[in-house]
Amino acid sequence: MVTSARLALAALLGLAALPASAEEVPILRIYTYDSFASEWGPGPALKAGFEQTCVCVVEFTTSEDAISTLRKVQLEGTATRADMIVGLDTAVAGEARATGLFAPHGLELSGLDLPSPWTDPDFVPFDYGYFAYVYNKEKVPNPPVSFEALIALPATFKIVIQDPRSSTPGLGNVLWVQAAYGERAPEIWAGLKPHILTVTRGWSEAYGLFLDGEADMVLSYTTSPVYHAVAEDDHRFAAASFEEGHVAQIEVAGILKSSEKQTLAKEFLTYLTSAEGQKEIPTTNWMYPVVDLGADLPPEFAAQPKPEKLLEIDEQTITANSRAWIDAALDALK
Amino acid sequence: MSATRRKPGAPFRFNRNGSGSIVLPPRPLRLAGGAGIALAIAALVVLILWSIAAAASVEPETARTAIDIPHLLAMTSIQAGLTAVLSITVGTALAWALNRLRFPGRDLVVGLFASAIVTPGIVVAFGLLAVWGRSGWVNALAQAVFGAPLDIPVFGLGGILAAHLILDGAFAARILLTRLDAIPAARIKTGQSLALSAWQRFAVIDWPAIRGTIPGLAAIIFLLAFTSFPVVLLLGGGPANQTLEVAIYTAVRLDFDLYGAVILALVQIGVCATVVLAAAALAPIPPSLGPSRGQRWSDAPPARLVQRLVLFLCVLGFALPLAAILLDGLGGGLAALLQRPAFWRAAGTSLVIATLSAALALLLALILCLGRAATPGLALRTGIGVPAYAYLAVPAVVLALGFFLLVRRLGLDPAAAAPMVVVLANALLALPFAVATLGPPLDAIARSRARLIRSLGLSGTRQFTHIEWPLIGRDAGVVLALAFCFSLGDLGVIALFGTQDFATLPLLMVRALGAYRTNDAAAIAALMLCLTIAAFVIIPRLFGSAADARA
Amino acid sequence: MLALEDLAYAHRGQTAPYRFSMHAASGEVTAISGPSGSGKSTLLDLIAGFLVPTAGTMTLDGADLLVLPPEARPVSILFQSETLFEHLTATHNVALGLPRGTARDEARRKVDAALAEVGLPGVGQQRADTLSGGQKQRVALARTLLRNRPVLLLDEPFSALDDESRAATRALVKSLTAAHDWITVLVSHHKDDIAALAARRYDLREGRLLSLP
Repeated sequence: MVTSARLALAALLGLAALPASAEEVPILRIYTYDSFASEWGPGPALKAGFEQTCVCVVEFTTSEDAISTLRKVQLEGTATRADMIVGLDTAVAGEARATGLFAPHGLELSGLDLPSPWTDPDFVPFDYGYFAYVYNKEKVPNPPVSFEALIALPATFKIVIQDPRSSTPGLGNVLWVQAAYGERAPEIWAGLKPHILTVTRGWSEAYGLFLDGEADMVLSYTTSPVYHAVAEDDHRFAAASFEEGHVAQIEVAGILKSSEKQTLAKEFLTYLTSAEGQKEIPTTNWMYPVVDLGADLPPEFAAQPKPEKLLEIDEQTITANSRAWIDAALDALK
Repeated sequence: MSATRRKPGAPFRFNRNGSGSIVLPPRPLRLAGGAGIALAIAALVVLILWSIAAAASVEPETARTAIDIPHLLAMTSIQAGLTAVLSITVGTALAWALNRLRFPGRDLVVGLFASAIVTPGIVVAFGLLAVWGRSGWVNALAQAVFGAPLDIPVFGLGGILAAHLILDGAFAARILLTRLDAIPAARIKTGQSLALSAWQRFAVIDWPAIRGTIPGLAAIIFLLAFTSFPVVLLLGGGPANQTLEVAIYTAVRLDFDLYGAVILALVQIGVCATVVLAAAALAPIPPSLGPSRGQRWSDAPPARLVQRLVLFLCVLGFALPLAAILLDGLGGGLAALLQRPAFWRAAGTSLVIATLSAALALLLALILCLGRAATPGLALRTGIGVPAYAYLAVPAVVLALGFFLLVRRLGLDPAAAAPMVVVLANALLALPFAVATLGPPLDAIARSRARLIRSLGLSGTRQFTHIEWPLIGRDAGVVLALAFCFSLGDLGVIALFGTQDFATLPLLMVRALGAYRTNDAAAIAALMLCLTIAAFVIIPRLFGSAADARA
Repeated sequence: MLALEDLAYAHRGQTAPYRFSMHAASGEVTAISGPSGSGKSTLLDLIAGFLVPTAGTMTLDGADLLVLPPEARPVSILFQSETLFEHLTATHNVALGLPRGTARDEARRKVDAALAEVGLPGVGQQRADTLSGGQKQRVALARTLLRNRPVLLLDEPFSALDDESRAATRALVKSLTAAHDWITVLVSHHKDDIAALAARRYDLREGRLLSLP
């Protein structure tokens, strides 16, 4: 207790946070979302692992969520101290690219194990998952098999979703409905309305409501049940497989042009996509790794069915239309 | 004769316009201090908005969103207005009951009520659901008794109001109770000897004592509800129930429309300033407050029955959700959590930050309130008082962004500046509550004792150490506890300034939630609640006895 | 000699202003009588400096008093009530009459002496709100002693007291006034008080002070 108070005091005076001013050891400054760098996230293990392979120090600076890290870099422009951002995803990659702040990664990534081959010259994927509705098998023996089947259920069947304006899965849901139904999307949203218990700001509130039994299904990832199976040995949860197909969320990292440590940043990306780095991801971020980990991947991941059909929208279409799609969805929900 | 002489022709010579009263002692230092702090806070708000606007000007034009501001304003105002009226009504009833009843564990109950407002809203919302939700205690009971669950509308406007009532009603009760407990013993004795009925007693003795506090309190609660964000989103049910704050959040985060955010923020500041100004104009000069020895006068049995009923219902309504949080958190996850070094680091950081920001909040509030109490003119009084509410009016996302840009503009390293910014922001967060608590008694002292103070020629320092501090010591303790707990539970700016090494308990809780670790999050929430209750029970008591010892 | 010459004042909305002229000598009590609402408190507020007159003069031994703010006037006041800070002890209240920075020992000595002079040697550690009405006025008189101001204003000081302490407090005021050469101005509507104390008498009627024989 005394030590921690002293540590806190040191942190308060900025001592703990202050790097050695001369930078005798190069510091790789990474902007990322909060839970990535947290105690429970992959950050600490990746930092330790990479620091063993390099003469460097990895420093995470966190924001509330991924989009905030991008906003921060946009605000700071070329004066940013960040060398790279870790944690953007394919839904905002187009917008991030358009800022012109990111440098090509120059890595050979054809060997990665992803839903579709990776060709992006700027961003490097480090994990992925599929948006899906998660339910409790004991409480929902016959889960809906599509959005339309969900709409057809009695209104007492409740789901929790996230606000697309503030949450990644929320935005993913909008893209999902759009990809599956196109022009009919507003109709689907209107049909979902009576089933929507509430629309939360972030993923954790929604998931909390679901775990507390307030709703029958929650918008999350196909890999969410894996967490309960691995960490809690609780096998009651499952992700509903929708006939329309599912949308993938691929999390990516990118190097900033303004960084003077391009080589070090590239080395980090190489490490991040290596089997060594990737084995930290599944049981911390609870997403699929982007390389085949073989026996290092907990069997529960393999046991979880992957969607049969993958829905995709190309980047330009997302960047051009996401705002209109969000507004249409929100209008239908009002 | 020790009197110093002034040259003839000095300002005291004649008062040409008739009714000139100069009873208030001149306190130029206090005035300057109050005005200085008020100006500094106002300047900070301007700087924050300016730095965002300046950042916006170098950004390329992004998609402007059409936001239906009048609709949002109307929806938000209805919700906030209802919250304020309900909270004040319930708070008054509860304070009245608590003031009259003596029972074992009363301090704990008071501490529990006080802790509601500083508990992160999201935690209270989940506590509410644990009791009233679909799988909550009430439905479990209904299932057992009637064989079918009740259909309780927890989501929608009802849920929002219920959660806000728990957060704000209990707080109102705590503040009003402070005022009732401070009624001079002589006045109570007079009432008792006149054998006033329970109603007369409330109207003649209690109401005048709390009346001065109500407009400021109602304004605070209105603003809290007006700017409430996570609770509204969680319990609101959908995009139909939203606040202006959500629109601002969207503009900043999603659209990166910083100009739009500044405009929306100005609208919100305008509305909030109007409310605060209206409250300031409504607030009468409070009556004199003297020492209180605690009440030994019980009302007649029918009134006591009502008081017990009020207390019972409020404990049920307010305390059960909080109890649910405690039960949930102090179960499984606690042992594992206590073994994490990260937890102890965050706890240490939280305690240091909370202590510093509480001290800062008290200091700022004292300077502001002393300055205001020393000011005769209404306009200047308002000018000194209003900026204290800035933090409530400025949307958290704007504040965080503005602070961030400001720190960068000043050439500071955000990581190094983070602790200072968090301490300052947390102090500002508690400031409206501190000013609402300390303002009325200091005004009362200034007005009722001015003649005596002035005729004795007491200096400002002596006035403070001998007269004001002993009389407001207990209130200062409440303020300190409040500010401490606010800081303990705050999630506002820390989120933008967080680094891996700098985390507080609420941030750790959010991180745990974001990593599926609901047990850890529940344990942290419960521990924060325990700390909060302890702070509310212990800190005011320390100060109360310190003030008594000086007297 | 305290002299008021045509000291004028009007409250907001008051059509006929007050106009006060009076003389009060040291070592004696000057009494002002008059019905309630006649302006007795206004007169005291003017002398004490809480109100600023619109015209006229006020001098003490020829020196202008109007230029002085309330705390600098050579005046002590005894209010009808609220004359002490109820949350402080008697000693503490009396000590507030000492100049700042008085050494602790000296302060203690002076306070004890003052309390003894008003006949209350034993109450020093009692909180003011536990004292009787007569004791409170005596404590306030003790504070006046330490302040050592030549003018003492008494605003109905005996009205809340019972007959016995009333007589005792009156005697105390009279003896202190004589002993310290105070100019004591007493406002009262009580005939007994005036008869027992006053060397000089004025009656306040329709905004004017009339000298009585």
